[in-house]
Amino acid sequence: MLVDRRQAISSLAALFAAALPRASLAQSSTIELGALVPLTGSGGSYGPSMAESIKWVLQNVNDAGGINGRKLNLTVEDDQTNPDSGVRAARKLIDVNKVVAIMATWASSVTTAVAPLCWESHTFLTTDSGADSITQLPHQGYLIRTEPTTTLIMTKIGNFLADIGVKKAFLISAQTPFAAPAKAVLGKVLASRGGTLLGQVVYDRDKTSFRSEIDLAMKDKPDLIFLDGYTPDVTILLGDLFRAGYDGKKIARGYAVNEKLLSSLPPNVTEGVFTVVPSPEVGSATYKSLAQHLNVTEVDPYTCEAFDQANLVCLALQKATQPTGTGIRDAIHAVSDPGGTVVYGAVDGIKALRSGTRKIKYSGVSGPCIFNQIGDIVDVKARFEQVHNGKPTLFKIT
Amino acid sequence: MIHYLLDVGTYVALMAIVGLSLNLMWGMAGMINLGMIGFFASGAYIAALLTTKLHAGFLQGLLAAGLAVAIMAWFIGYITWRLRGDYLAVVTLGFSEFIRLIASNEIWLTNGTDGISNITAPFRSSLSPLAFSVAAFSVAVACLLVALLAFQRLCYSPFGRALRAIRDDEEVAWTAGKNSRAMKATAFAIGGFSSALAGALYAHFNSYIAPDSFLPLLSLYIVFAVTIGGRGNMRGAIVGTVLIVAFTEGTRFLVNYLTFLQPVQGAALREMTVSLAFLLILIYLPRGIFPERMLSWRFAGKPAQ
Amino acid sequence: MSEAAQLAVNGLMSGSLLMLPAIGFSLIYGVLRFPNFAVASIATIGGFSAYVANVFFHWPLPVSIAFAFLIAGSIGVGSDFLLLRPLRKAGIVAAAIGSLALNIFLENVVRFSFGNDLRGLNVPIMRDVVVLGLHVGRQQVFNVAWAATAAIILFLLLKNSRIGKQMRAVADNPMLARIQRIDALQVGNITTFIAMGLAGIGGALLALDTSVDPLLGFRILLPLFAACVIGGIGSFPGAVVGAAIIGIGEEMAAVLWSPAYRTGVGFIAIVITLMIRPSGIFSRQ
Repeated sequence: MLVDRRQAISSLAALFAAALPRASLAQSSTIELGALVPLTGSGGSYGPSMAESIKWVLQNVNDAGGINGRKLNLTVEDDQTNPDSGVRAARKLIDVNKVVAIMATWASSVTTAVAPLCWESHTFLTTDSGADSITQLPHQGYLIRTEPTTTLIMTKIGNFLADIGVKKAFLISAQTPFAAPAKAVLGKVLASRGGTLLGQVVYDRDKTSFRSEIDLAMKDKPDLIFLDGYTPDVTILLGDLFRAGYDGKKIARGYAVNEKLLSSLPPNVTEGVFTVVPSPEVGSATYKSLAQHLNVTEVDPYTCEAFDQANLVCLALQKATQPTGTGIRDAIHAVSDPGGTVVYGAVDGIKALRSGTRKIKYSGVSGPCIFNQIGDIVDVKARFEQVHNGKPTLFKIT
Repeated sequence: MIHYLLDVGTYVALMAIVGLSLNLMWGMAGMINLGMIGFFASGAYIAALLTTKLHAGFLQGLLAAGLAVAIMAWFIGYITWRLRGDYLAVVTLGFSEFIRLIASNEIWLTNGTDGISNITAPFRSSLSPLAFSVAAFSVAVACLLVALLAFQRLCYSPFGRALRAIRDDEEVAWTAGKNSRAMKATAFAIGGFSSALAGALYAHFNSYIAPDSFLPLLSLYIVFAVTIGGRGNMRGAIVGTVLIVAFTEGTRFLVNYLTFLQPVQGAALREMTVSLAFLLILIYLPRGIFPERMLSWRFAGKPAQ
Repeated sequence: MSEAAQLAVNGLMSGSLLMLPAIGFSLIYGVLRFPNFAVASIATIGGFSAYVANVFFHWPLPVSIAFAFLIAGSIGVGSDFLLLRPLRKAGIVAAAIGSLALNIFLENVVRFSFGNDLRGLNVPIMRDVVVLGLHVGRQQVFNVAWAATAAIILFLLLKNSRIGKQMRAVADNPMLARIQRIDALQVGNITTFIAMGLAGIGGALLALDTSVDPLLGFRILLPLFAACVIGGIGSFPGAVVGAAIIGIGEEMAAVLWSPAYRTGVGFIAIVITLMIRPSGIFSRQ
């Protein structure tokens, strides 16, 4: 009888609540989230899968009941890998869609432009841009990033180069804000291990030939040339290096030496090239299921990061006192700092939090996801591969 | 939607100021300039740097930007005063590209391709984003009206008449005692000043600038705008700018309907439409929508329109 | 010293590729008396034509280059006839601005069809040839040979053929040419066809040298114009010499100043020329 009365009252209450017009409730019934990714432009090969991985996370959370009964609604915008478009898109997300968080910005210039809009409107921003300067901005905690800083990754690379016996290195960098810090850190690390960075040449990406730059690089006969650029320019650089008869070691970023590059250059030109990426947790079950969902054999690091960002935002929303950008900001460390029950996905984490677990820790596919006070990840594993016969093979993970 | 329209409207108003400036140089002084965006960008960067790095005030930054670019523009006008149309066109285009290269490469100064962000503006933090956009729009339109009135006054002034005399027949004007070189340089300086102000306002309203915000293509669009509007006619310059920007923004919505296109194709289609439309309008209205009425030889004494 | 020699060699190589579009531009300027800036995007079209011929139809290189000439020439003269000729009646300025708009239009037609990515032709990547301590790319040598051949053929055409003489007549004195019953319109069309075809070959060679993308034309626009200005606009040998100077100048700037400011060289070169000798090296009186 008690149960029946309870049931009756709760169903009456539900009916009552359903009959109320939505506007009379203090909040709407969905939580709005945004993804600002490069669907076109130089980042265009990553944007779509980044968006897809975020969609998947939110879909799973919604299917499991959402955040305290409220569904998550995602709006995806294209920043065209261009800061102006990014700003316009961010304004739309913040002003029109009223998102509480914007996720997965990729290009550092876009993130730098969009960040002030976010912290001013108390919108939480998660990014995979690597420029050191981003976390130095006065973001008041409204920003975290899952991509290692230039300092972090260059230190790893410098040590790796010393490990494989490089004594004289030369850096050819694309014209980006990473160029100067890369040179500084690499030079320091190499010097500390007994090697030297012979020099750096910075090139304008808009060119179709880099012969003069290569002549400059090869002048003092380096053992290794670091091609710090993107796929189109690194493709040309590798070709020009081959023509110039360079026989030393070469290293480039993993995102540059991708399938497109490897299929457009003959194997003898790419033979022996080292690549480096922040290492995803390739062995984990979550990685495998993400790869399966995206229908690929390997998930690129940015998509892994976007996936982690979506999970972190969901967990923070669940943990937060209110589902706003400020709420996320205040809860983000609680779900990512070490200690407590380790979870590998938002659905499990939400379930744990709702059943009373005091502390959870999300462990991601892009890395351990531990952030410091200014929003940087504190460590990362670097994955080094070497191209043999047109195919990359694992060399070392440090 | 209103917010978006306000932002576009602000952009149109600022671009129209640049259009008026071009009209002064080209329509009145006969000096074509394919690098107006160079002045606009310089004004934007100077104002942005002064306010973010040196913590100058908003108005001080504007004024400094305007004056600095005016001086630079004066020199350009002074050096190129004798150049014929197509040479001048390419030199000015090169100048604008040069400015963009400096902005991209001199990272110590301009932050390179990352751009300068978080440029402040008065009242931005105290107003809601929508209210700020309304304020920005109003300021931009007000400046446009001021520029229009000022330039029209200039048109009818002795200076304006002398400029047009120089444009139409330099040798005759020279014998009449007009110092062509100084006058052309001055026209450049004034045009540079107003374009730089527009650029500075853009930097503050947008809160962010980067070299990619100032592509040479925009300079060409300004030239197209003034051509369609009617070279020499101030109202025409505004109308032309409104048309061009309306077209470029409007096609954005149209292209959204063509969902079978890839984004890069959509962008290309928009450019194709704008350039082709411009060509066709130019073929049928070679003097533009508001052509300047030509003086015939017999009425050389009467004041110009 | 060998660095300077290498610089000169690199510069001459890149200058030889610039030479053909520059000659085309100068030719149109001389005969039709207006700057047709659409040569830039026509060069891009030439590059993509060669790409399509080589990669999709698997035609050998000489055929691909001839294909580029034909396509570029046809589109060049067709677009000129439809869109620029009506503007020429309204004056040089209208035609020049119109050619800029046409340039944007054509560049985006290419972008619409092929996207923004760089495309490479099926050319083997070969090690450089080393002669006297100087590096020369093997493909570069072929390209220079092609460019020189095209230029020589054109030169002979201009000097000896009837159409060449007519072109020179119209260029030197249009009124007199009309009196001599030379059909200026037909001469103009043939000139445009040849000039744009040359630009197309230039684009094809650039595609062979490195790669082709829609921005190829825009990249060469300023250096091209600078080459013509330095050499004397409307002059054939002027375009050749101007292209060589610009090529070497850009290489020097890359080494002495900064590779990023390469494109600044064209701009500075124009300014210097206009201050010292405005009509260029081989100016026609």
